[in-house]
Amino acid sequence: MATAPKIDVGGDYKEKYGFFVPEDYVFKAKRGLNPEIVKEISWMKGEPEWMTKMRLRSLEIFRKKPMPTWGADLSVIDFENIFYYLKASDKQSKSWEELPPDIKATYDRLGVPEAERKFLAGVSAQYESEVVYHSLQEKLSQQGVIFTDTDSALRDHPELFKEYFGTVIPPADNKFSALNTAVWSGGSFIYVPKGVKVDIPLQAYFRINAENMGQFERTLIICDEGSFVHYIEGCTAPIYTTDSLHSAVVEIIVKKNARCRYTTIQNWSTNVFNLVTKRAMAYADATMEWVDGNLGSQITMKYPSVYLMEPGAKGDVLSVAFAGKGQHQDAGGKMIHVAPNTTSTITSKSISKAGGRTSYRGHIKIYPGANNCKSFVKCDALLLDDESRSDTYPYNDVDAENVTLGHEATVSKVSDEQLFYLMSRGIPRAEAETMIVNGFIEPFTKELPLEYAVELNRLIQLEMEGSVG
Amino acid sequence: MAITSETLDQLQGEPGWLRERREAAIATFEKLPAPSKTDEEWRRTDVSRLDPNQFSKLEHLDGQKLILAEALPQGVILEPLRIAAEKHRDLIEPRLFSLVHADRDRFTALHAALFTGGTFLYVPDGVVVDQPIIGQHFSHEANTSVLPHTLIVAGRNSRFNYLDEYIAQDDAESGYRTGSTEIFIGEGAQVGYVAVQKWGRNVWHFADQRAELQKDSSLRLFNVTLGGKFSKSRIEASLVGEGSNAELKAIYFASGEQFFDFHTLQDHRVGNTRSDLLFKGALQDVSRTVYAGLIRIEKHAAHSDAYQANRNLVLSDKARATSIPMLEIDNNEVRCTHGATVGPVDPEHLFYLRSRGIPEPTAKRMLIQGFFGDVLDRIPFEHARRLVEAELESRIG
Repeated sequence: MATAPKIDVGGDYKEKYGFFVPEDYVFKAKRGLNPEIVKEISWMKGEPEWMTKMRLRSLEIFRKKPMPTWGADLSVIDFENIFYYLKASDKQSKSWEELPPDIKATYDRLGVPEAERKFLAGVSAQYESEVVYHSLQEKLSQQGVIFTDTDSALRDHPELFKEYFGTVIPPADNKFSALNTAVWSGGSFIYVPKGVKVDIPLQAYFRINAENMGQFERTLIICDEGSFVHYIEGCTAPIYTTDSLHSAVVEIIVKKNARCRYTTIQNWSTNVFNLVTKRAMAYADATMEWVDGNLGSQITMKYPSVYLMEPGAKGDVLSVAFAGKGQHQDAGGKMIHVAPNTTSTITSKSISKAGGRTSYRGHIKIYPGANNCKSFVKCDALLLDDESRSDTYPYNDVDAENVTLGHEATVSKVSDEQLFYLMSRGIPRAEAETMIVNGFIEPFTKELPLEYAVELNRLIQLEMEGSVG
Repeated sequence: MAITSETLDQLQGEPGWLRERREAAIATFEKLPAPSKTDEEWRRTDVSRLDPNQFSKLEHLDGQKLILAEALPQGVILEPLRIAAEKHRDLIEPRLFSLVHADRDRFTALHAALFTGGTFLYVPDGVVVDQPIIGQHFSHEANTSVLPHTLIVAGRNSRFNYLDEYIAQDDAESGYRTGSTEIFIGEGAQVGYVAVQKWGRNVWHFADQRAELQKDSSLRLFNVTLGGKFSKSRIEASLVGEGSNAELKAIYFASGEQFFDFHTLQDHRVGNTRSDLLFKGALQDVSRTVYAGLIRIEKHAAHSDAYQANRNLVLSDKARATSIPMLEIDNNEVRCTHGATVGPVDPEHLFYLRSRGIPEPTAKRMLIQGFFGDVLDRIPFEHARRLVEAELESRIG
């Protein structure tokens, strides 16, 4: 009997889509975490005093807070064995051609120039800890849109920055937001003025490249009244042997009548710990949409949330998780209804394969007085073999009047009938399964810009290769 | 008076082994801390104002009143648990508190230490009992503990229905009440079990109902929760034999300041098992309910089919229902679905009825009856169905 070869996705990641280039860093802080390193980071960046103080205060909070005991097992992270700051080149490049060749080689494989050509949009590519390549379309500046890296924003727009930084996610929110606030570096800063609708998605590629390199980017997006922006964050990372930590913080403020969409495709290599805090505040009649795809990493703990602050606010989370061998995707969403007449939906699709584990963990909180709210949560899980695991943990707290709340979840395997149908038309089993999986996540894929949808389908195909039964 | 091993002196005439068990449970009770708010199971369930020590007087010592329409078939044992403990030690000792563990928390320990009355039912292999067996547990006095425990052993291919009724003489009584049940279901047996809790409106009530199902057996369990100012019930089924099938259904109707908490577990230990859970509740006034349920499918439990749903009808602006349906699935050859809803009466349904000239209160009542209708049809036997319908009718009013 012929057996199909088992391909270990984690092991041959490098050949498939992992790649790395020799390290060449201008500045590399020492390993470990202490007030001196935090001060050094702040000094290197030439930051104002309030930021240095905030970083030091956050470090204290990080030290005091216990590790979370729920969700995934984080005990293996060694905070003393991580580089907290890297700077790949001294100067910010203005155009693609000026980029250092090795960095360019990396991006070429990711297809960044293509994306730029296609969209003629601002590409802000993060190589290591700081944004080195940055182009801002003429039109955007004319409209008064600020799209820059977070470090430059602190320098160039200090008042705007200080007004919003740390207001959505204060350092004391959780252990990892404290860590991020202490050592943050890079990330995107977007300000969209009143009534401005940015009609092209703003994109940034994020990369981790040095061994044991922690990446602590910090993103802040402010959508002023009646504005619209779509921000896309896509991550792929080369494979390395020791564990890496990625702990980002994303803060978004969506003011009256504004709409913000934040799309992520996360594909860290399978040794990365991805512990991210993402939160948005949506005000009157504003809409916040998180489109969140989690494919890579060893452990992901990420629950994009929307605080619905004023009547008419709407929150959406659309999330996809794929866990292969040795991976645990603990993802979900949170909707915090603070004001009456607010609505929210969470749609979660998860796929587990080769012993991987996906957990949906969500929280719907409806505060007293937030009457006439509606919330709906739907979770679908697909288990591709009998080694894998899927969990659903929805927490619902309703303390208001006339609230309609719904939750639905299903767990299943690839349906035999669908498989039979496709195979009877001459499609090989592996291909048929890939098609079914791609169909399963289609509600997610169709929300993505075309080239991301293509990339996602390709990634799923790579992950599915060699899956039997 | 505090609860100590002297409290056990109220329970005379029991065999030594049972007394030893009770003393061990008292020690466990004294050792275990009060549930903490940081513990997920107790986060929404406040027992800080409950001091069981003030209810150290035990009532209902002689056990239940058993109602039987006719003589039981040969070999069936139906006796008060404390009496049976002496005569049928071989049947009881290995099973008592082996499903409902005494050390699970302070309240199960207290129940295991002081259980009063209760029933032991043993139906031998192949025996079919046509008439439903009914155990009624009464409370007569205020500020006492009434702690009945039911132990049911169903032999292979036996078939019967059992009803536990928890009845208060005085609806305003206060006190401490439990109503726990352990059901052992042998191969191929079919058991119907209904528990109707209608204690007084000022009591604390704790219940652990747990069944273990062997190969090809089936359970139809129906829980009705109406009484108590506080009621916490854990309803759990372990599917340990292939081909077993557990149906867990419940209705609850909370009004005034009542607080109801339900924890359910559908534990699929082996494959080819099926479980179907539906909990439906209506809430009035300022009542609150919490439902938290888990479907767990173990690694090798392939071809399992599990369903779990919790529906809450919130009839007043101030009532609160919390629903937390959870899944832990370790096998892919399964079908698992769950759902939860919390919401008021559908205004469109109400409008439809009103537009046909039906006054609002009547229309609301019809909608509530309709809401419970499909689950009431799942009550395993006629006597219980009539009883529950009447109870519900008087409360919807």
